[in-house]
Parts: sequence; C-alpha cells; structure tokens
Amino acid sequence: MTTARALQMPTGLRVANGAFVAFWLLLAIFPLFWILVMSFKIPVDSFSTNPLQVIFGFETRRTVGGLSFLDLALGIVVLIAAYRLVAQTIGKAAGYLSLGGQVWFGWILASVVYAIGLALVFGWLVPLVFGLVNTIFGVIPLLNALATPVVGLTTEHYRAVWIENEFHEQFLNSAVVTAGVVTISLTVGTLAGYGLARSGGSLAFWLLVVALVFRALPHSVLVSGYLPAFLNSREWLGPLWESGATGWFFGLFSDEPPTLFGKHLPVIIVLVSINQPFTIWMLRSFFQNIPRELDEAARVDGCSHFEAFRRVIIPVMWPGVITTGLFSFLLAYNDFLVTSLLLDAEAQTMVPAIAQFFNRETTATDQVEAIAAAVSITAPLFLLVMIFQKQIVSGLTAGAVKG
Amino acid sequence: MAQVTLQGITKRWGAFTGVSNVNLEIADREFMVFLGPSGCGKTTTMRMIAGLEDPTEGEISIGDRVVNALEPKDRDIAMVFQNYGLYPNLTVYENIRFPLKVRRIDPQTHDDRVHRAAEMVELGDLLHRLPRELSGGQRQRVALARAVVRQPTVFLMDEPLSNLDAKLRVSTRAQLKNLQHELQVTTIYVTHDQIEAMTLAHRVVVMNHGKIQQIGTPTAIYDNPANTFVAGFIGSPAMNLLDGELQGGVFKSDNVAIAGLPADRNGPVTLGFRAEDARVVDADGAQIAAPIYSVELLGDATMVTVRTGGSLTSVKAEKDYRAEIGDGVGIGISPDICHLFDKESGQRVSLAA
Repeated sequence: MTTARALQMPTGLRVANGAFVAFWLLLAIFPLFWILVMSFKIPVDSFSTNPLQVIFGFETRRTVGGLSFLDLALGIVVLIAAYRLVAQTIGKAAGYLSLGGQVWFGWILASVVYAIGLALVFGWLVPLVFGLVNTIFGVIPLLNALATPVVGLTTEHYRAVWIENEFHEQFLNSAVVTAGVVTISLTVGTLAGYGLARSGGSLAFWLLVVALVFRALPHSVLVSGYLPAFLNSREWLGPLWESGATGWFFGLFSDEPPTLFGKHLPVIIVLVSINQPFTIWMLRSFFQNIPRELDEAARVDGCSHFEAFRRVIIPVMWPGVITTGLFSFLLAYNDFLVTSLLLDAEAQTMVPAIAQFFNRETTATDQVEAIAAAVSITAPLFLLVMIFQKQIVSGLTAGAVKG
Repeated sequence: MAQVTLQGITKRWGAFTGVSNVNLEIADREFMVFLGPSGCGKTTTMRMIAGLEDPTEGEISIGDRVVNALEPKDRDIAMVFQNYGLYPNLTVYENIRFPLKVRRIDPQTHDDRVHRAAEMVELGDLLHRLPRELSGGQRQRVALARAVVRQPTVFLMDEPLSNLDAKLRVSTRAQLKNLQHELQVTTIYVTHDQIEAMTLAHRVVVMNHGKIQQIGTPTAIYDNPANTFVAGFIGSPAMNLLDGELQGGVFKSDNVAIAGLPADRNGPVTLGFRAEDARVVDADGAQIAAPIYSVELLGDATMVTVRTGGSLTSVKAEKDYRAEIGDGVGIGISPDICHLFDKESGQRVSLAA
C-alpha cells in the first residue's frame, strides 16, 4: 500500500519519526541483547567495564574457547534454514500425521516430532559438523583465520542452571501454574464473554463494571487478603471434612484438610481472580465482533442455544481466544508478587527462583547463572509468539470473521 | 398446510412499543411482503415469527400449532438474513448442508439435496469455496440455498436484497419470485423497497410506527391506498398529496381547483392523485396552473413538477415533452382519478369513482 503523495509526511517529520522508533527499539531490545551476551561468558568477561570485552569475551575465548567466523556464518544460515523448513512443512506434516483423524492430534504429534528433530540437529549434528568444518579450514593456510575463535562462548552457566540447580523443577512448577491459569481463565472468560456479549441487559453492564473495579485493585490487596486464609486453611476447612454429609467426599482427596499455603492451586486461584476481569472484557469484545446473525442463523437452522455456540461460534472464535490466552499466559508466567508470597520452596516458579539466584551468595558466578536463567525463561515466550503469530495478528486486528 | 396466524402481537421494550397489536393471517403458499420505512416494526414482527424475539403479548401460530413457546429450531422455518449470516469457516457446500446435518437428516440424502438446492440458485460450480471468496450476490444465493435445502414450511426473508447493487437486485428478485413459485412454500418477506413489494408479493402488509396500515394485493394497495401514509409510500413517484378545502364538490388550494368531486362532504381534506393519471395541458382552464418547478427526463416519460401550496406536485408528460423551468404549465386532473383523505386522521374518505 502506498500513501498518496498529498498525504505523505514532510521529510523532517519522517526522519524524526524514524529516529524515535529506532531509539525506542534500542531501549527495548538492548537489555535483552546484553543479558543474552553476558550469559554466555565467564564472570570476568560478563562484569567487565569494557563493553567490547563483554561482547567478545576475551577471557572466555582464551580459557574455554568460542565461535569462529565460520561458526557464526554457518549458524545464521542453519537457523534461518531451520525456521523456514519448519514453517513451511509443519502444516503438511500435521495433516499427514493426523492419520485421517483429528487435526489437532496431528499438530501435537508433528510438534513433538519436529522438537525431537530440532534437538537432534542442534544438540548433536551442528556441533559435529561445525567442528569438522573448523578443523578442515584450520589446516588450510590462508583460510585458517576464519576458523579461529573470535567470540568467546561458554554454556557452563546454562548447564549449572538446568542440571546442577535442577531448574527444570521450577520450570515444571511454572508450567503447572501457567497452564492452570490459562485453562481456567479461558474457559470462564469464553463462556462469560459470550454470554455478556449477547445479552444487552443492565445486569450484564453492572457485572462488567464490577469486573473492571476488581481489575483495578492492586495485586497486593488480593494477596494479603488471601494469605491468612491460606495459612489457616486447615482450621476453617475442618468442618467440611468433619461433617458427615461432605466428609466422605473430601475424604476421597486427603485424610485431613490441607494447608493451602505453598501449593499450586491457591496461586492459580489468586492469579485467575486477578486476570479474569481482563479476559472477560477482552473476549466479550471479540464476541461482539462476531455477528449476532451467525447465532440466529444457527438457531433457525436447527441448533439449540448450546449447539449454536459449539458448532458456529467456537470455530470462529480462536483468534480472540488465542490472543486472550497469550495475555493470560504472560500474566501468570511473569508474575512475581503472588508466586513469591504464596508458594513454598518446593512449589516455586521460575521468576521468584531467579530473584533468589540473585540474592543467594552473590558470587559473580551466581550472578551470571541468574542471568542465564533469566534468558532461559524468555525462550517459551518467543516460541509461543512464533507458533501463534498468525492468530495473534488476526486477533489483535479483529474483524476476521465478517460473514 | 402452513398458514401463519398472528393474533394481537405486541412487542414492547420498556416504554417503547415496537409492534402494536398486529393481527394477520398469511395463507398457505402465499408470498406475503411486510413493507414499511425503517423502524416500523416489520423486521421485529418477522423475528417474532422466527422465534428470535418473544412477543410481549399475543399468539403466533404456524400451521395449527401455537409456536410462542417453541424454540426457533422447532418451528420448521428457514430464514434468510440481511447480512447473509453464512458460517465463515465452512465452504458453500457445508453451509448449505448445515441444516441437514444439525437436524440429523439421513446422511445418504445430503449430497443430493445440497446439489439440488445449489442448482436452484445456480451455485453449482462454487460449492468448494468459502463465503469470503464470494461476491455479495453469490453469498445471498448461498443463504437462499441453505434456506431451501430442507424444504421448511415457512420461509422468512429479512431484506435479503438490500446489500446487492441495483442491477443484481433486479435479477435476484426475479429468481426469488420464480423460486417461490416452484417450491410453493409460504413466504414472508421484509423490505423497505416498495418496488420489491409490488413485484414479489401476492399480498402486501404496509406497516408504520408498529401498526399495520393496510393489507392487500399490490394492485389494491396501489389503486386504493387506505390512508395518506400508504398513498405517500407506494409508487414511484409517490402519490401527489394536496391539502385543501372541499366545498360543494369543488377542491380548492393554492393554484388548484378541481370540480366534480362528491358534494356530500365539506371542509378540509387531503386530495391525492398519481402522477401517471394526470395530464399536462394548457394553463388556461386547467385544474392546476402554476410555473414549472423542475423538469426531469426519465426516458420513457418526462416528469414535470410544480409547486402547489406547500408541497410539490409531479405529473408524467409524454417523453418528448420539453419545457423550461419557470414556464407556465397546466395539469389536467379529472375527478375520477382523485383519492380523498381525511385531513386530520389521514384515512381514505371516498373511493375514486
């Protein structure tokens, strides 16, 4: 799309605009880039006052080794090739692997196969081939400069984080909490959002206003409100276990009332209650963009109310649900306040765990390990956005379901 | 048998009355058109028949069943929506098949029925497309096919042609009329376009402000409008309506004097006549004599407009008639083309002889 000449901005404004965007991008991306670089260096390099030493890692290169020009160039090529290969073929593979059954099954199977494949390529094939190439180039007179390490690189901090410190436990805790929050938020939000979008009553209006008020509450209010109740839950849940009518039922789960503090469930509850107003509002506006005529056509064509929702609305609501789901995911995944206050050491999620890394011994190595952990937790976010980018874009721009 | 009966149907939202006390019998196989300006309650009435709105009062029957408490799906109707209401994630084929699938009709017959319905609206080669890949006219035909595929007892159509361009509207209109004739299914059709109403309907219900103004065949409504609203709504151009005084069989207003009308009524009346019934004549001795306000060439005729009292009056002249704005002109009106309406209530007071 080209803008008509009469509507174009003056050159000065365009330059200022571009400069501002560039500056802003730099501000936003620089920290990410910097901790990424730091996490691959030994502490002497990471905390050096010389930025060049941080980037190129002189000490790391000398003691551990690093990447040559060849490695960098080949690495970029392999990364791009892998991305394009996956993007282009995973759809077909999913169709093939669904084996004539449900498509979502094919997608899950295809994702697993591709994940194993990529892990094999990057964990085994790439180091092997790169090493071979470097050795070959290393013996050729003029080209051996290309094969000597230029950027220092060590993966010891990642190894320390994931293997020695068993960070995967925190990862699993995060996964449980996040999955719980997203599932509950989306289920409730979808049903409530649909209901509120289709009812014009004043009750619906007041419900939405109340939801907005809850959304505006500081999170610490909710947490401090819940904290005593969770700590004492053994006492106030007692009657449920003691009374004959309900005791047998709750007895199925545990012999005595649990202490909720420190468990995943209460954190999920609190995060859902923080998040739910937002998901309801957001999904409601998505459902309002789905023409009411679709429901009505379905009702006339022979659907009951619920069937109309299942057969007609559900198939067209995914962009909205995925976009809302992403925001719910971010809230639960990145939360620090609630998780750090309500979880015990065993159930701790990644974000508070990283904070603890920083607070531990404060040796330089610990610090870099914390940085490596921080870099690690951004990976799932990139993956999510990459997988769902199409739906997220159409969800953010909405209007994707005009009949 | 699928006659539709409305008894005392009223719809209120709080203090606002959308439809007020509508009584109507729609015969089996009849093509009934609800006609009226926007906000007149015609769509609400149809939605109440479909079950998408509940009437505040009154009883709706389809066939011999009272359907007030029935869900839309149990009323055995099919509906075509103004914005088509197609399912965007389904192909044309699946869209048309949807009602069969939902109603668990024998899957063996689906393919045959879908193809037959698609043939009927000439969609044969578009079956594998998605709605967003179709033009407006094609989408509307998909909606029609989805309605006919199940052979319901009543068709409801809510302004189905209003989103189409003028040319397509004319051809789709003819297709609709033919389709209804073939299928012989009771059809209720909502429109604000009086030409659609005139061309399609067996009978027309003219509505305004939630009330029925007149029910009748297109001819009856055109020739004998029951009140000034119907007279002013039907026809292109609408009927000329002149306010004036009737004294001893002579109607008088600014620039207007028409003799020979019934002498048994005196006082203020509204007189109406159709543009094509009157003639352009010499100003001398004509019933209306005034300078020309505008001349419009329509191709098959020339429309001459003059100012009479507070309103504009149009008359159709021969197609080769030419005159300049401001020229004096006369309009010849014989008393037998005149319709008289009560000035206060707007109701017809005597039929044109």
